[in-house]
Amino acid sequence: MSAPSISRSARRRSSGTGGSWTPYLFVAPFVVLFAVFLVAPIIIAIVNSLFSEKSSGLGFGGSEVLFVGLDNFVRALSDSDFIAGFGRVLLFGVVQVPVMLVIAVILALLFDSGLVKGTRFFQFAVFLPYAVPGVIAALLWGFLYQPSVSPIIQGLSSIGVDVNLLSPGTVLWSIANIATWSTVGINMIILFSALQALPREMYEAAKLDGAGQIRIALSIKLPMIAPALLLTTISSIIGTLQLFNEPQVLKTVTSNIASDFTPNMAIFAASTLGKDTHLSSAMAIILGLVTLLISLVVLRTTNRSSKKKVSDGE
Amino acid sequence: MTAMKHNPPRFGRLATMAVAGVATIALLAGCSGGGGTDSADGVTTVDFWGWVPGLEDLVTQYNDSHDDIEVTFHRMTGDDGQKVEAAVDAGAGPDLVQLSTHNLPDYVISGRVQDITEYVSDEESKYTPASWASVSLDGKVYGLPQGIGPSGTMYRTDILAQYGIEVPTTWDEYVEAARALHAANPDVYIANMSPSEIGQWAQEIQQAESSWYGIDGDSWSVGLNDEGSQLVAERWQTLLDEGLVTTEQMWTPEYWALVNAGKIATITYAAWFPSQLAENAADTAGKWAVTDMPTNAGSENSGDSGGAAVVVLKGAKDVEAAAEVAAWMNGADEVQDALITVGGLFPSTETGLASDALLSKQPFFGDQVINEVFIDSAANTPATWVDGPNYGTAQTAITDEFAKVINGDQTFLEALDKAQDATVADLKSRGLNVK
Repeated sequence: MSAPSISRSARRRSSGTGGSWTPYLFVAPFVVLFAVFLVAPIIIAIVNSLFSEKSSGLGFGGSEVLFVGLDNFVRALSDSDFIAGFGRVLLFGVVQVPVMLVIAVILALLFDSGLVKGTRFFQFAVFLPYAVPGVIAALLWGFLYQPSVSPIIQGLSSIGVDVNLLSPGTVLWSIANIATWSTVGINMIILFSALQALPREMYEAAKLDGAGQIRIALSIKLPMIAPALLLTTISSIIGTLQLFNEPQVLKTVTSNIASDFTPNMAIFAASTLGKDTHLSSAMAIILGLVTLLISLVVLRTTNRSSKKKVSDGE
Repeated sequence: MTAMKHNPPRFGRLATMAVAGVATIALLAGCSGGGGTDSADGVTTVDFWGWVPGLEDLVTQYNDSHDDIEVTFHRMTGDDGQKVEAAVDAGAGPDLVQLSTHNLPDYVISGRVQDITEYVSDEESKYTPASWASVSLDGKVYGLPQGIGPSGTMYRTDILAQYGIEVPTTWDEYVEAARALHAANPDVYIANMSPSEIGQWAQEIQQAESSWYGIDGDSWSVGLNDEGSQLVAERWQTLLDEGLVTTEQMWTPEYWALVNAGKIATITYAAWFPSQLAENAADTAGKWAVTDMPTNAGSENSGDSGGAAVVVLKGAKDVEAAAEVAAWMNGADEVQDALITVGGLFPSTETGLASDALLSKQPFFGDQVINEVFIDSAANTPATWVDGPNYGTAQTAITDEFAKVINGDQTFLEALDKAQDATVADLKSRGLNVK
């Protein structure tokens, strides 16, 4: 909300001093890191994906790297397990992203409403899991999912409820639980800070008009933090498509997670186990394009609907 | 620079930025770094990555007794094995590395290992024929064997005695024993069938005189679903269908809980497994014994789940020196006892097999000399197994498909057919000849 005013004043100041080198020096570290660790790998992956390592006979005569056009893409797209991985993460996202965001929104609204005592402590408690590295989180939950070492499962079993959290049907949702636990905190913080930036006078006006807390939350706060909600939605969708840490770690405790359970795992398996960096580059590009496409669709639809609302309002 | 003059307070920020920039460059520079180098004073450095316990001591022993070569050692942990290929390609790999012999053909085909035939061919007589064959491909030698994995069956003497069940000596008796045991106590199972434990599968394939790969003239043959594999598949299908085995993934807390709780009566695995068992199921000490792996009808064969080798990688500065170090680390008389007792290896050398260190009593197994079983097993293992290209793909295909078998979605035979197709397709996509 306040970002445009800051950058405008900064621009005025820098144009005043006239040091033409300075801005480039300041952006140089970013540009160098961006070029080396983002642009270059993408270009290398694109080039890699168009080639393939071919041997002949038994292969002991060595191998050569040949241009194969889009062969690797055809191979990747005709691999039904790779495609099934997309279906799996989409199903995961359709359920996990809304559930996680609803929890984050409710928590943010609660903290913002002033109804909760000890806000700082609870915010810290909700945020803390985000500070736990994903792999560690998956390890921790992995223990809670194994009957012989899990107090949760043993507790449930002692009251006659037998659950298997690692069966073929449940394991995806056990992963969703870890992802939700890990990411609710950061999304809550983003939404909470957006709420804090809203002008308080509006709530007073609404109260005078007879609106209760829930009415204020639904009709004023949520529409006003729509940009923050969009940001958290898109980053959550991207995170879902790139699902890797949690299933890869849980794979060590259950065989119900195949090596190509998610697209990212399939890419990892193709490059490290299958030792085909060319095929895995093509798969990575496909994943990147799908992510871009879905993000654009979400952006488009939300932009259109918000514009429509604005024009309807006028 | 101009900004500094005009606007002194900015200096601080600029300096910070410059420091950050330098740090970045240092970070990038830190990513590179080479393998062995020849230093000026005539001492050759050989960089060695390995995982066998106690190798540090052997490296010290070597350096103390050799002036011309200095070995540096890096202990491989976690997924270091998967980093080797990238390190070699980046020119930052070690000179010597330890790897599973199953992966050797891949390294040869991709040119990441060096042919060391001329330096080590006179070492051949020190090693068992089967282990020497595992490091030889297409008439060339690519490494030195470092331990093998002959199979034996560990069983709970108390459980079998309690239910009056004889120790099975054939697989047919084994299935009968499984039924009798489970009937006597529904909480006890003859074995665990872990869909992810490829070594347990491979040892029975080898026992059945089959192999995943073969070389036929100028072509590879792939036999993931061949006759021997079908025999093994039918056996485990019976055990699975009748509910006579547990199906936990091996090495998980869940698996060890089953073992410790006495729900699994037998475990058939390689010679390196007993020490793992003793470590993870310490409370069951004295209740186990080791016997020969059950045999197939009309055969005395045992099995083996594969061994390791030390190879000279591409990029090694001094191949001869590296080969010499590898030969000493595995074949020298003075290292055999350490490899057996500290390293926990089952030897691939004739001197190692004759060593007294191998014949020590194991308290965990009621003071049984368990390696007598494994020595017999090594002698009875058929030399039919051939490793081939892209073992990783075959292994992943099998374990992914087996998980579906365990869940009842398909049979072992169907899983093997799918894995076979995936492996053949993969080899063809690499331009290799496949029959």
